[in-house]
Amino acid sequence: MDRLACVDLPSLSLQLLLARHPEWAELPAAVVAEDRPQALVLRVNEAARAAQVFPGQRYAAALSLAPELRAGVVPPHDIEATVAALTIRLQRFSPRVEPAADGFGATDPDVFWLDASGLERLHGSLAHWAESLHVDLGSAGFIARIAVGFTRFGTYATAKAQARAGVILFGDPAEEDAAARAAPLDRLPIDPAMGAALRKLCIRTVGDLVRLPARGLLERFGPEAHLLHRLAAGDLCPPLAAHPMEETFEDEILLDFAESDATRLLFLAKRLLDPLLARLAARGEGVAELRLRRTLERGRGPREDSIRPAAPTLDALLLLDLLRLRLEGAALPAPVAALHLAVRGAPIPHDQLRVFAEERPRRDPHAADRALARLRAELGDGAVVRARLLDGHLPETQFAWEVLEQCAVPRPSGADGAGASRFLVRRICDAPHPLPPRPRHEPDGWLVRGIAHGPVLRLIGPYVLRGGWWAGEEVHREYHFAETQRGELLWIFYDRARRRWFLHGRVE
Amino acid sequence: MARWELAELRGRLVEITSAAAGAPLSVAIDLVAKAQRGGETVAWIAARPSNFFPPDAAASGVDLAALVVVRVRGAQVAARAADKLLRSDGFGLVILDLEPATQAELSTALQARLLALAQKHAAGVVFLLEKRGDAPSLGSLVSLRVEARRRRTTEGRFVCDLFALKDKRQASGWTHGEAFDGPAGVR
Repeated sequence: MDRLACVDLPSLSLQLLLARHPEWAELPAAVVAEDRPQALVLRVNEAARAAQVFPGQRYAAALSLAPELRAGVVPPHDIEATVAALTIRLQRFSPRVEPAADGFGATDPDVFWLDASGLERLHGSLAHWAESLHVDLGSAGFIARIAVGFTRFGTYATAKAQARAGVILFGDPAEEDAAARAAPLDRLPIDPAMGAALRKLCIRTVGDLVRLPARGLLERFGPEAHLLHRLAAGDLCPPLAAHPMEETFEDEILLDFAESDATRLLFLAKRLLDPLLARLAARGEGVAELRLRRTLERGRGPREDSIRPAAPTLDALLLLDLLRLRLEGAALPAPVAALHLAVRGAPIPHDQLRVFAEERPRRDPHAADRALARLRAELGDGAVVRARLLDGHLPETQFAWEVLEQCAVPRPSGADGAGASRFLVRRICDAPHPLPPRPRHEPDGWLVRGIAHGPVLRLIGPYVLRGGWWAGEEVHREYHFAETQRGELLWIFYDRARRRWFLHGRVE
Repeated sequence: MARWELAELRGRLVEITSAAAGAPLSVAIDLVAKAQRGGETVAWIAARPSNFFPPDAAASGVDLAALVVVRVRGAQVAARAADKLLRSDGFGLVILDLEPATQAELSTALQARLLALAQKHAAGVVFLLEKRGDAPSLGSLVSLRVEARRRRTTEGRFVCDLFALKDKRQASGWTHGEAFDGPAGVR
């Protein structure tokens, strides 16, 4: 059974604010939308709640309730950067991590889902894994509530409902479901007006909400409530949309003789860079960051540099120019004994990938069509054709030649040649050729195509094709492959109706 | 280095010859499939009273709907058709399947025109000819001449070897082999 973990970092923006201002930890603190009196209060800590300051109030009003309130703005890009960094951090615990910035129809950057399936084999138990995750987040300065269970909503609701930071682990889906239904609705990030309306109706927990009719909820409270109902009831179970893991490509070269000349070091860096660019291009990415590490001789500490082009690029000349500027910068105290280059990729526009694609000229399909029209005009309409496969019984009825008016983009089977099947191809005669009769004595001295081609050494077959009896035109052919002394592999058949051998083609 | 890929054949006249136990058609169809996988449009000029068996070509990965087949009689007509196709810059590979008896119709002037067009438009031009390896080549303008040989390995399995009789870009004498399955029924 799949296991899922939900990591809730309650009021992430507030945690970031308090990390910036640790002296505010014991005071009422709030995140406000803007640094002005009429700005909305977005998040508050427990000390602020105790002073009756709640999200949704105006900053000025909150200050009047709690004069010692400390407030600050956390820009959205700070939150995005933190979410991105946390995603990478959490990918150390699970290869599949989904940040819930767009989770459940509402922005909730506090939440991450991790695929916990199979991880007990690596960590001994899921409990140990979850504890390690909790400790790691704590060491990074985050307060986290972690629920390990079976469903997204179940783990989400129970993580949100936890009163304190910590880990909760469910042993079976029923246990998780019971805990999720007991979760208070005011712990979930739902619309305050909707929450107030539900409280008036004594709908206080997820279980209370699930017992309501979905259609009525939609009509009375709108799509957000309906969505929440579907998620809580298990009618909607979106699969985990894991954030792709960032892969760093790197390579290193150890120098036989330490080098201090910048130009020679640049050439060595180029040797490392070219294959890395090719690997990035294969993934459709360009270089977003170059990290160069020069290990110095005589045990001196390595020199690390990070180079970022203006935009992700596969332009080797541009990247080498940036490297050159860095290498020619400050002189190093000792020669370089080893060079390490790492590149971090990022998606780039498709036309940049042409640099690394095979040097294939662009073809003009309209010009090709015009050439076909000229050929038809010169040679006749039936001269320019393409083959179309049919469901025929006899070889000549398995295909037809149809007039070709326009070129089509090739869509061959098999993505690449490595795994593609190869079959020997037969050449089929326009019409079967009559052959001389086969001598009665065995083995063959049968000269199928004259002395020059030698006798038939081996006949493989027969493969009987019969048909047409239902239309009064019975066809009975016994196909063989005839190997001659010269090595030809002829494709022949014996026509029972006409009592004659025919050559239909050969394997070439 | 992959010697038998379209990238190696661009801008060249290539001749595939074979004796009786050869596999020129299979090798050429395999080249068509490779070119199509690389996104190139291919034209097959059939100048013989026989042609490749389309179901076998489809089994080998060729997109028949995109393969242009031009049916003509005579090597000279075939070369003029190839001229028109190459001149359009709409084709990356043109294969001419010729009758050996009409080979003499391919004058040096015709070959020179095809070579110039192949070089200008970075296309490959391949001639299929049934003749032995010791028979004379089409001409000096042919940049690569290979003999396609077929040998059986196990039941129903074959290897098609390309033996370079002439290669102007590198030393001839190289071989390139690829495994093929026989058509249904061949053991």
